[in-house]
Amino acid sequence: MTPERFHQLADAYGAELRRWPSAERTGAQALLDSGNAQALATLHQARLLDRLLDSHQVPAASPALVRSIVASATLTPAPSFWRRHMDWWSKAGFVGVGLAGIAAGMLVVSFGLPLMLPTSSEALPSIFEQSDADVVMSINAEETDQ
Amino acid sequence: MNETDPDVELLARIGNNEPQAVNEMVTRKLPRLLALAGRLLGDADEARDVAQDTFLRIWKQAGQWRSGQARFDTWLHRVALNLCYDRLRRRKEQPLADSDELPEAVDPAPLPDELLQASAQSDLMAAALAALPERQREAIVLQYYQDLSNIEAAQLMNISVDALESLLSRARRNLRNHLAESRDDTGPRRETR
Repeated sequence: MTPERFHQLADAYGAELRRWPSAERTGAQALLDSGNAQALATLHQARLLDRLLDSHQVPAASPALVRSIVASATLTPAPSFWRRHMDWWSKAGFVGVGLAGIAAGMLVVSFGLPLMLPTSSEALPSIFEQSDADVVMSINAEETDQ
Repeated sequence: MNETDPDVELLARIGNNEPQAVNEMVTRKLPRLLALAGRLLGDADEARDVAQDTFLRIWKQAGQWRSGQARFDTWLHRVALNLCYDRLRRRKEQPLADSDELPEAVDPAPLPDELLQASAQSDLMAAALAALPERQREAIVLQYYQDLSNIEAAQLMNISVDALESLLSRARRNLRNHLAESRDDTGPRRETR
């Protein structure tokens, strides 16, 4: 690392190398270890400002504020199981309705199709029991007779 | 984002309604939030309001937090920063209404000399920070005081790392100048012939 780059980094990030970009720290440390006078002087200047920055105090949290914030956690109920999974359930609902629609469609079509299909029970959708097949076929047969 | 997020386990415990986890989260994050908002806004009352609002969002988010997204601390800074921006924006919209109000004074209890000196030094620094342009103040608060990495600070500010570096350099230069001028104003007068 050049002393110029060292100066730029100290100017931005201050005197503590742990605050510097991680990729630059090794090079910076090597320059310091070499005893580079310019780098050492730069670091000294940066440290002066760091100390002033550190002198700035912010008010500590009062016990009343802590109590109020802790209490707000109980006032804000965590989402319930149902609420947390509402998205999932609503998606599942859509899929369920879709499947029901398909099943209903298959059922309706199955009543209409036998007119054009062979009079075999194999032509019926698999949702019918074999025992139902005879009943359904007989209904269709009666309708075609008329 | 390969490092393990140290807050994820605590968030899960809050999601399971563990009172101890709530206390731990307040202990862990409240000082950081007060420091962030206090330095950006320069007003202790407003900083407390921002901290309270931020915690309300934490409680809502805790049970649904998924690791692998942004680090929780980064998300927290984003939330608090947005709340601070809202307040700064409102101040600009109503500059006259607030112009007479001074930031909350420091504790008026009598202080020993050393503390008094420290307090005066702190006030001097607060004035120097308050005098910085907003973006420079934000950069120095995030990088120096909040101890965020340059990448995190740049992401939060929606700027490149180079731009952050430039803001930081200018911020430090302005702080040095402001502090030097303050010393000249308050320091012992040199005799002139």
